Amino acid sequence: MDERFGRRLGVIALHVVVISGALLTVAPIAFMIYSSFKTTTEIFTLPPWLPPAEWSFKNYETLLTSWHFPYWYANSIIYAAVVTIFVLFFCSLAGFAFAKYYFRGKNLLFIILIGSTMIPFQLILIPLFILMSRIDWVNHPASMIIPWMAPAFGIFLMRQYIQAVPSELMESARIDGASEFRIYAQVIVPLVRPGLTTLAILTFLGSWNSFIWPLMVLRGNEVITLPVGIATMRSQATASQIPYGEMMAAATLVSVPVIVLFLMLQRYFISGLTIGAVKG
Amino acid sequence: MVQAAMTRGREARDSGGFQQHKLAPYAFISPFYVLFGFFFLAPSLIALVLSLFRWDGINDPRFVLARNYGRLLSDKVFAQAATNTAIYAIASLLIVLPLALVLAVLLNAKSLRFSNVWRAMYFTPVVTSTVAITLVFQILYNQDTGLLNAPLIYLGLEPIYWLGDRSWIKVAIIILIVWRSTGLLSIYFLAGLQSIPEELYEAASIDGASVLQKFFRITIPMLRPIILFVSIIVLLSSIQIFDEIHILTHGTGGPANASMSVVQYLYERGYSRLRLGFASAVGTVLFATVFILSLLQLQWYGVFRKED
Repeated sequence: MDERFGRRLGVIALHVVVISGALLTVAPIAFMIYSSFKTTTEIFTLPPWLPPAEWSFKNYETLLTSWHFPYWYANSIIYAAVVTIFVLFFCSLAGFAFAKYYFRGKNLLFIILIGSTMIPFQLILIPLFILMSRIDWVNHPASMIIPWMAPAFGIFLMRQYIQAVPSELMESARIDGASEFRIYAQVIVPLVRPGLTTLAILTFLGSWNSFIWPLMVLRGNEVITLPVGIATMRSQATASQIPYGEMMAAATLVSVPVIVLFLMLQRYFISGLTIGAVKG
Repeated sequence: MVQAAMTRGREARDSGGFQQHKLAPYAFISPFYVLFGFFFLAPSLIALVLSLFRWDGINDPRFVLARNYGRLLSDKVFAQAATNTAIYAIASLLIVLPLALVLAVLLNAKSLRFSNVWRAMYFTPVVTSTVAITLVFQILYNQDTGLLNAPLIYLGLEPIYWLGDRSWIKVAIIILIVWRSTGLLSIYFLAGLQSIPEELYEAASIDGASVLQKFFRITIPMLRPIILFVSIIVLLSSIQIFDEIHILTHGTGGPANASMSVVQYLYERGYSRLRLGFASAVGTVLFATVFILSLLQLQWYGVFRKED
């Protein structure tokens, strides 16, 4: 009887700890969304759960009309979407080659591929920026897309997925006279959709949330991305007061769609993160 | 027999196709090597060379040998930035990592109801925009009316000057790191927990082992490779920290550079002050550090092991 009671207590304690932690984790996000409907004075009024005097979308209206916010949003979507399309293509193609072909120099080339992940982006931050200014790509969309089109991580990820595709399928397509590219496009690609979805999510998210690079290479309100735009709202404010309400509305619009997307595609997201970890 | 006939038939049929078969993989992997060579390898080499020069991007570069490195090592602000970065890394290892491990074990408990819901909640920070959440924390850290000071003010105590005090600003950043990365790391641990055979726990239960005994005698030893892997990820990401600090301190390094990270230092010297050679030396030192840590990581991945 006592033991059962103890177990019961343990299960209750488990739920209390897990649930309070979970609530604490989402609290800042809830605070963000809630605050986006308040005035700046109300945001700083304690306790924070007091409702606004008047529920209004005023912050959102101002954000969309008096700021360059729609530009930032469009830019972020375009950069992220274009990068993602190229990444899917180049990474699956290279992943296919590394998974299914034997060719001279393959081992060395693969070591270079993996080794390249060792170069921290920060080492090349300054020289890459110098290169961008030399080829006139500062403030040019190319600087946000072309260097990032074939990340080694993505190739490694796609290689893992494509290795699981039976080679016999390729062989029979080859016997039917299919070209190598057609084997890729018609045999491999349809079979690794989950891998492509995973890579698409990770790439889109990485581009969407990237900060330091667009901060350096993009100038002017018409070309910057969302994170950079939002980070500069404080210094761009024309009124004497810092526009916290509008900043919270902007923060909500940059993060909530991504969170919703994550909740829908969680499975792919997590398999992408753990594919390397579980291997060992 | 059949196979031999098929092979012969194929070779006879497409001599052109056979060539294609040999060349195709090179074509497929070439985009990576072209982009890598032009945008990553070349700049890396430029950085190494540039670290021996003094250059503002306008006048002619002047060769100064290792003077940039000498100046870097005697620079007080760099020492401060390196110390801060080490503090972030150690705090992540000592706080985030154990927290994530315990969280993973709790989320993995069979008696936990609706575990998918709680998991999703814990993983949300992983995808949340750093800029967005840092702005939120800026409000929460406000000295007079921020939520984090509310209990102190309520009790009549002196409120904490989170963003203006040399020590508290680091605590503020560490709290933000804990919030951002605990969920991510617990994803790795959860994946690892799934690979521990259930029988181990059952056998231990029969022997009368307590929950804590099972955790320290089974879970931790079985997760050792994952713990090592995650430690390296934590170190690598701590070393490269920039976004949170830059935004939280409005592009400064905090009060008297008290929160400046190495990457922020690099950005400030190279991009804001255009000391390109000097910043390249900073990058090179960073590279050496990350290179060593990555070698450890690759060792773990088994890349240097011969494929069997």
